[in-house]
Amino acid sequence: MALAKLRGDSVEAIKEGVSECLQLINFEFRPSVQNIVVKPNLCYYWDYSTGETTDPRFVAATAELLREKISPGVRVTVVESDASAMRCKHVFKMLGYEKMARDWGIELVNLSEDENRPAEVTVAGQTFRFKMPKAIAEADLKINMPKIKYTIESLRITCALKNIFGCNPYPRKFRYHPRLEETIVALNKAMKFDLNLIDGNIVSGTSPRRLGLAMASTDPVAIDAAAACIAGINPRKIRYLKLASSEGIGSVEFVEKGEPLRHFAVAYPRKSLRRKLMGKAYNVAIRASLGRRLGLE
Amino acid sequence: MRRVGLGIVGLGYIGNIHLRHAMKLQNARVTAVADTSKRALREASGIGVSAYSDYDDLMKNVNVDAVIIALPTHLHVDCALRAAEAKKHIFIEKPIAVNVPDAKKIVKSAQKNGVSLMIGYPLRFDPLFTSVKRQIESGELGDVETAFASYISSGPFFHRATGYAPVPVPEWWFDPRASGGGVLMDLGCHLINLLRWYFGEITDVKSSLRHRFNLELEDSAVCLASFGKRTKAVLNVGWFSQQYLLRVELFGSVKHVIAEHPPQNPLTTAVQMLTTATSKFFLPHLSELQYFAQCVGRDLPPSPSGEEGVRDLEVISEAYRNAAL
Repeated sequence: MALAKLRGDSVEAIKEGVSECLQLINFEFRPSVQNIVVKPNLCYYWDYSTGETTDPRFVAATAELLREKISPGVRVTVVESDASAMRCKHVFKMLGYEKMARDWGIELVNLSEDENRPAEVTVAGQTFRFKMPKAIAEADLKINMPKIKYTIESLRITCALKNIFGCNPYPRKFRYHPRLEETIVALNKAMKFDLNLIDGNIVSGTSPRRLGLAMASTDPVAIDAAAACIAGINPRKIRYLKLASSEGIGSVEFVEKGEPLRHFAVAYPRKSLRRKLMGKAYNVAIRASLGRRLGLE
Repeated sequence: MRRVGLGIVGLGYIGNIHLRHAMKLQNARVTAVADTSKRALREASGIGVSAYSDYDDLMKNVNVDAVIIALPTHLHVDCALRAAEAKKHIFIEKPIAVNVPDAKKIVKSAQKNGVSLMIGYPLRFDPLFTSVKRQIESGELGDVETAFASYISSGPFFHRATGYAPVPVPEWWFDPRASGGGVLMDLGCHLINLLRWYFGEITDVKSSLRHRFNLELEDSAVCLASFGKRTKAVLNVGWFSQQYLLRVELFGSVKHVIAEHPPQNPLTTAVQMLTTATSKFFLPHLSELQYFAQCVGRDLPPSPSGEEGVRDLEVISEAYRNAAL
C-alpha cells in the first residue's frame, strides 16, 4: 500500500503522484491489457471541490499514465450506475466527466443501462443475487478510484470496498441498506478489482480539506484499513472490513510505502467528540421515527 | 369572515409544504388535493380531504374556493387558466410561468373571470425583510444608493427524500422549456421581486451567467440592476453551494442595514418544531397562505399580484437578453 504527496491538481501533477504510487507497489502494467474500466466515486451532484466525488482530472491523469505504460490505443471506460437519488446522465455532465471524456478520449458507461448477466455469490452463509454488468465482466484491467468519506454510523468510513457498491446496476440502492455491509462484501467478492487508487487530493472529512494525497494498493481491504487510520478510526473496529477479510477479499494488515501515513492523518479533518455525539443523537432520533416530526429528514 | 376552502394542485416538495401549512390555517381549510402520484393521494386521503388524480376534477369541487398551484413551472399556465375559468381564486408558486406571454395569459384570465391571483414570494412575508421595507419607507436609511442581494444554495440539487427513501431531482428541473431558465428563474425572481418592492421599477438590468455544472441552464448569475437614477443593486444568485445564504445589504446616505435569513439548522429546527410545530425557516410560507386566505375571504386584491409576477419575469427575460457572453 503506497502513499504519495501530490504536487498540485493539474493532470500532470496528479499523473506524477499516481505514477509514484504504482512504482512503489510494483504494479505490473501487462502489455496484453486492451480494455480498462475505471470506477470513480460519483455521489449525487457534488463536484470534486466537496471532497465527496472523484476529480475527473484524477481519472484523466491515470488514463494517460496507463496509455503511456501499456499502449496508446488502450480503451478506457469510466463506469457508474444510477442510484436512488442520482442519475448518471446528469452526473456525468454536471461533474465534468462528459468534458473529460471528450478531451481525453475516454468512454462513459451507465451500468444501469449496460447489458448484464445474473450473478450469485455467498457471504457469511447468505446468498446474494445481482446483475453483473458486461462492461465490468469483460474488462481486463479494473481500477477502483474511491474517496475517503465518513458515513453512516454502522459503516463509520467508506472508501474502496464501498465504492464497488456503485457497480450494482440496480438503481434503488437504498433497499440494500438493511444488509449494507454484507452486500458491499458480496459485490467485492463477485467483481474483484485489480487496482485501488484513492483520490485524496481533496477529502470531505468533517469539512473539505486539500490533503494532496494519492494512495494505491491491489488489496481493497488494506487500502480501506489505511484510509481508516488516516481518518482516525481503528480499522479493526470496522465490521465490514473484518467480514471482507474473512471472505478472502484482502487483509486489514498493511505495509505502508512512500510518504508516511501520519503526515496525512494529522491534516485530515476529523470528527470532534461533540460531532460524534451529535451524530449519535441524530441517528437515535431518526431511528425512533422522530425524524419526520422534527423536520430532520 | 368565511372559512376559505383550499385545493392544492401538486404535492411535490413545495406542495407538501403548503399542505402542511394550510392545514394549520384558522381562516381556511384544505378541502381537496390533486396529484398524479398515487402515494401522495393515498396520504392525502388519510387526512380527510378529497384527492384527485386530475386537477380538472378538483376544479369541479364546489368546496374549493381557491387553488394553490404548486406544479412544475411549465404546467402553471394550463392549470391557472382552468382554475380561473372554474372561478377559483389562485395562488401560484413563483415564478408565475415559464415566459412572459404565458404569465400575461394567466393575469388576463384571472381578471376576466373576476378571481384573485397571488404569486408565492415568501420573502415578502418574512419579518426580516418586511422590517427593511419599513426602514426604507420611514426614511431611516436616507437615500439607498446601493444594494447587494445574495441567494446561494444547492437549488434543486439538494438531497431529496420521500419518507426515508432518497429520490432523484425531478427531470423538469433539467429542461429549460419546463423550468423557463436556471437559477435566475428559481432564486433570482425572489430577489427581483423583493428589490422591486423596496425601490420600485427596474429600469435597466445586465447580467453575467455561469455554467459550473455544464447544464444548458445557468447555475449562477450576477446581475446589475438600476432602479431609476438612484439605487443600483447587485444580485448574486447560485445553485452551486452546499451552504445556504440569503442576505440583503442596503447602503443608505444615513444608515446601512443587513438582513440575513438564517439557514435551517437541524437542532434549532427540531426545537422550533417541538415548541411551535413550524420551523422559523418556513414561517413566511405559513404567513403568505394566511394572508392569501384572508384576501379571498374579504374579497381584497392580494399582493404580490399576478402583474408583479409578470413584471418580475420581464426583468428576468431582460437579464437573459443582456447577458454578457
